Amino acid sequence: MLKVDSFAKRVPPVVWQYALAVVSVAVALVITDVLEPYTTLRTPLFYIAIIASAWFGGMGPGLLALALSTLAVEYYFVPTAFVPELGINGGPFILLFSLSGLLACWISVQRRRAEQALKEARDKLEIRVEERTSELRRATEDLRAEIAERKRAEEALREKANLLDLTHDTVFVRDAKDVITFWNRGAEELYGWTREEAVGQVSHDLTQTIFPAPLEKIMAELNSTGRWEGELIHTRRDGTRVVVASRWALQSDERGKPTAVLETNNDITERKRTEEALHKVQAELAHVTRVATLGEMTASIAHEVNQPLGAVVNNASACLRWLAGQAPNREEARQSAALIIADGHRASEIIGRIRALIKKAPPRKDWLDINETILEVIALARSEAQKNHVSLQSQLSSDLPLILADRIQLQQVTLNLIINAIEAMSGVGESPRELRVGSGKDDSQGVRVTVRDSGPGLDPRSLDHLFTAFYTTKPQGMGMGLAISRSIIEAHGGRLWATANEGRGAMFQFTLPVGGEKVS
Amino acid sequence: MTEANAIVFVVDDDEGMRRSLQNLIQSVGLRVQVFASAQEFLRSKPIDAPGCLVLDVRLPGLSGLDLQKRIAEAGIEIPIIFITGHGDIPMTVQAMKAGAVEFLTKPFRDQDLLDAIQQALERNRMARKQRAEIEELRERFDSLTPREREVMGLVVAGLLNKQIAGELGTSETTVKIHRHQVMEKMSAGSLAELVRMADRLGIPTPK
Repeated sequence: MLKVDSFAKRVPPVVWQYALAVVSVAVALVITDVLEPYTTLRTPLFYIAIIASAWFGGMGPGLLALALSTLAVEYYFVPTAFVPELGINGGPFILLFSLSGLLACWISVQRRRAEQALKEARDKLEIRVEERTSELRRATEDLRAEIAERKRAEEALREKANLLDLTHDTVFVRDAKDVITFWNRGAEELYGWTREEAVGQVSHDLTQTIFPAPLEKIMAELNSTGRWEGELIHTRRDGTRVVVASRWALQSDERGKPTAVLETNNDITERKRTEEALHKVQAELAHVTRVATLGEMTASIAHEVNQPLGAVVNNASACLRWLAGQAPNREEARQSAALIIADGHRASEIIGRIRALIKKAPPRKDWLDINETILEVIALARSEAQKNHVSLQSQLSSDLPLILADRIQLQQVTLNLIINAIEAMSGVGESPRELRVGSGKDDSQGVRVTVRDSGPGLDPRSLDHLFTAFYTTKPQGMGMGLAISRSIIEAHGGRLWATANEGRGAMFQFTLPVGGEKVS
Repeated sequence: MTEANAIVFVVDDDEGMRRSLQNLIQSVGLRVQVFASAQEFLRSKPIDAPGCLVLDVRLPGLSGLDLQKRIAEAGIEIPIIFITGHGDIPMTVQAMKAGAVEFLTKPFRDQDLLDAIQQALERNRMARKQRAEIEELRERFDSLTPREREVMGLVVAGLLNKQIAGELGTSETTVKIHRHQVMEKMSAGSLAELVRMADRLGIPTPK
């Protein structure tokens, strides 16, 4: 483009072109006039002027030069230039001159145009060649830079791969078909297969992976979020099993098609074993405290069982009496027997509840109605409350969601809070002893259980220690009840805490997160 | 037959126990009325018939022993048989001191309860009879003139006619007539009988 511009600049302005026509004709006239005495030729210089004007100025100046030349020749030279020896008179001569001048002008313009077009074409070609050359140069440079970049990246990758070999975690990469493409030293150490042995194998087959969820579900999560985390069980080369905390990261191509998965595994076998041992100890401790709590309530529980047994005896005696005598009353006897059956069931229900609490059962979570769970505990604690002249009331909110929890453990916590409250009120003298157990919705859509008493309340100094193991304010206490209760609730993802009750006494409450379904 | 008239009240908060007691007592042909709490019993309308109360010691709200106290304070005469899941000695002593007929621990033998109920009903029947007799005596006593009452008081105090005449400043003959009137109106066959009557009426003997 730059070249085209300068070429345009080289073209003289129109004025100069016409001026050239005028000047060239004038010069031709002067020289012809000067040379007149020496030669008979009158026209050649004018031709030159016409050709030059047409060449430099184009058709317009060329025609101007032709017109001026014709006038000049006609005016100055024709009368004198009548050459009788040539047999040409003035009129035809001028005509001939102008025609040949016109031809010369036209040829000159055509030539000039052809030349310019040629020149332009050449210039353009040159520009294009130059452009192409620079493009090529740039491309070469880019290519060189890219090659250098690749080299650096490869270097970095190699360094990173070396770093991956340094980590204790096992790292391996598998392609879309689960074929292992990378296997670090950590993986070699954990599983026992060398890199050469592992690469090319299908990873889940090699390590006999046991998944915590269906593989389709895991893959769905991986494909939607690009990540997955969970615990896997793998089998090593020597056949032993290993529990790993596994993290998967998905690599996809530009079109979003998954190409590879980076799997980082961490051996947590030992940790799992310790955790399991801890859980076992905690469960045992919970069981011991549960049995101890029930032990404290033996008298009340005996009373609770005695009631239906007493009823059985009474109804059976009545039954015999209805059947005795001259006219046995069969209907009354039948009703007595029905009452005996109902009482028998009631006794076995109570014993069943107690047995469930005493039984050493592994923790098991079920969907349960918290109100039902509370009412069963209240049924057990009712006698204990009466024995201590405590009025035990429940304010249970209906329309609570079901929760996923261990029934026995929740009953243990509730029972513990109730027994604590009863004991707290045993020393309050004449003032009313009220124990209220409530349930309701928690702010965060969970369930909240409250146990309020009208006892002496909590000593602010003891608040910090209340939930500490072996801390107790009771002469016969083990100091485990609240500590165990809190660990049970926290294991359920909830909270257990104590505050002062409105008015008098203390309030213990715990929350449990919800699962979803509603109690009908 | 008064037996059919007799009614047994049962107060027990345990529904099964309540029903079984009702069944057992009905099986021997007695009328029964059951209550779940002491308050419910106190709210019920009094029935004019020989009766007794089978009362659970441990009740929500007002306890069995509290109810016993309330009944005594209200001057209601009804024998009480206590029943309990597990009675301790101090509780038993307190109940018996306050006049309980029997103190039974659940589960008890049916015969023990029925015997206690019969005993209590007998006691109530006797008490009702005595109260009726005293009321009869009181009516007779009320029919005496003031002078006759004075004479009666002195007679039962063991004074001779002569001494009474001296005390009252009248003649011995007048005293004799009054004394005869008293014996007549009180339907007393002997001096000893009159003394017993005065004793039951609680007439103070002047010094």
